[in-house]
Amino acid sequence: MNENRFATGFLIPGGLWLLLLFVVPVVLVLALSFGYTDDLGEAIYDTRLDNYERLVDPDYLPVLFRSAGFALGAVVLCLLIGYPVAYYIAVFGGRWKNVLIALVVLPFFVNYLIRTYAWIAMLGDDGLVNGVFDTSIRFINTPYAVVGGLVYGFLAFMILPIYAALDRMDPALIEAGKDLYGSPWETFRHVTWPHTFQGVLAGSVLVFLPAVGDFVAASLLGGPEEVMVGNLIQQQFQASDNWPFGAALTIAMMAFLLIWMSLYLRAAAREGKEATA
Amino acid sequence: MRAFDRPRFLRVFVWIFFVFLFAPIVLVILFSFNSSRSLQQFDGFSLRWYETFFESESLRDSLIASIQIALITMVVATILGTMLAYGLVRARTRWSDTANVLMLIPLVTPEIVAGASALLLFTQVGLQLSLTTIVLAHITFSISYVTVVVRARLAALGRQVEDASMDLGATRWQTFRLVTLPALWPAIIAAGLLCFALSFDDFVLSFFTTGESPQPLPVRIWTQIRFGVRPTINAIGTFMLVISTLSIGLALLLPRLLGRRESGLKVLLGREGA
Repeated sequence: MNENRFATGFLIPGGLWLLLLFVVPVVLVLALSFGYTDDLGEAIYDTRLDNYERLVDPDYLPVLFRSAGFALGAVVLCLLIGYPVAYYIAVFGGRWKNVLIALVVLPFFVNYLIRTYAWIAMLGDDGLVNGVFDTSIRFINTPYAVVGGLVYGFLAFMILPIYAALDRMDPALIEAGKDLYGSPWETFRHVTWPHTFQGVLAGSVLVFLPAVGDFVAASLLGGPEEVMVGNLIQQQFQASDNWPFGAALTIAMMAFLLIWMSLYLRAAAREGKEATA
Repeated sequence: MRAFDRPRFLRVFVWIFFVFLFAPIVLVILFSFNSSRSLQQFDGFSLRWYETFFESESLRDSLIASIQIALITMVVATILGTMLAYGLVRARTRWSDTANVLMLIPLVTPEIVAGASALLLFTQVGLQLSLTTIVLAHITFSISYVTVVVRARLAALGRQVEDASMDLGATRWQTFRLVTLPALWPAIIAAGLLCFALSFDDFVLSFFTTGESPQPLPVRIWTQIRFGVRPTINAIGTFMLVISTLSIGLALLLPRLLGRRESGLKVLLGREGA
């Protein structure tokens, strides 16, 4: 048997599975987003734009902007925290490198709900901090808590690609920068940063995508003023049972995220090509 | 590596980072052994919250359900994902490059999109929400992880060994079974354990596709947290942490135990040979 045909056969089960359980459902969501809910609460497929018009409604538009804002804030904070940590581990980690990076990853295998809940236990109105210091500071139910929850939730996604980029970088490049009389800052700006930019980009996307769609942080750490688009979608599909509107929200979010996703996928394709070449 | 600059504050910054990273988790573990309900002070060691956890029949059912889901997901996703990886690396078709990229999309799709669309599909085809629907959803979003991990291993392997095997008269199928597959084992096992951990921990997909009962543990935790902070959650959380850490630890260590030189971390991140 020819190798190509043999190998192509291997693509069929997984490909078919992804087609039926990933592509088809997303197409269904797209189709339903033009539908409506009838008087019995039944979702009906149609060709209306009502759901999309509702998106710009003053009830919902701020939620969309808020989601993007919170997610962007999380990306910036993750970068500010994650870059120095990745830098330290990659450059000064020495033989502890693998242990340190494993320590960074470890907490992310603690259930996301539990991690979020741990912050409530710590910072809640009757949590540990307020108890120990006998204060009544309101941490939870603020926008800061929600953004903080997102940062804590997805930080590893920022650190890992930056770490990988730094780890690959040749220290001789820094020497060269120094030899050319670059100050530490200039060397960082003109040598290190451009060399790790792909990692920064990958990390930013990997944090931004789940953060935009998240509803756990806003539900548990935020109040009614911190509702995000993920919460709206979840409510439409569960509590208020307006699936067509939920579908439109989902599609709108996906459309917004596509720009970011394609950025990431282009970079990944380049890397994949190098890896499989 | 003296070439890099070492700003003095960096070391302190990293220490503070690790403190903040682990403080909440240490707190959960510590207070899971608290003898009182308090989350503010530790009143002595006790296992009462673990007893509450394991004595509750419905929580026990949830734990078993979570493990069942994760095991089935692990097996099916690992098989499908490995096959997909082999096809993607070895088949040279016009749309190989496209397929290689499309396969990553499930990884970058927000879980809520995945959950909502899976729910819609199951409802449309009239499938009753149950453990089966959760498993179907979990498998769908685990396949890509396996493919990424195994693909990197396969690419690093090169095809010379396979060519040699064919030269010695083995058929394609024998070569795959006796040469390729054994070389891929570390990556396959690591990927499988990763799937187990991801599925066991997953909340969003399960939340959208779960039936009435039994519900997987994370869905139960969600309900409990929404009703207010309860000490039992500490015990459940600690217990789940142990299971996830075990499976990830195994994923990191197994390649080494199997006598390979490469770091498990690299295998797991699909970064081999890159």
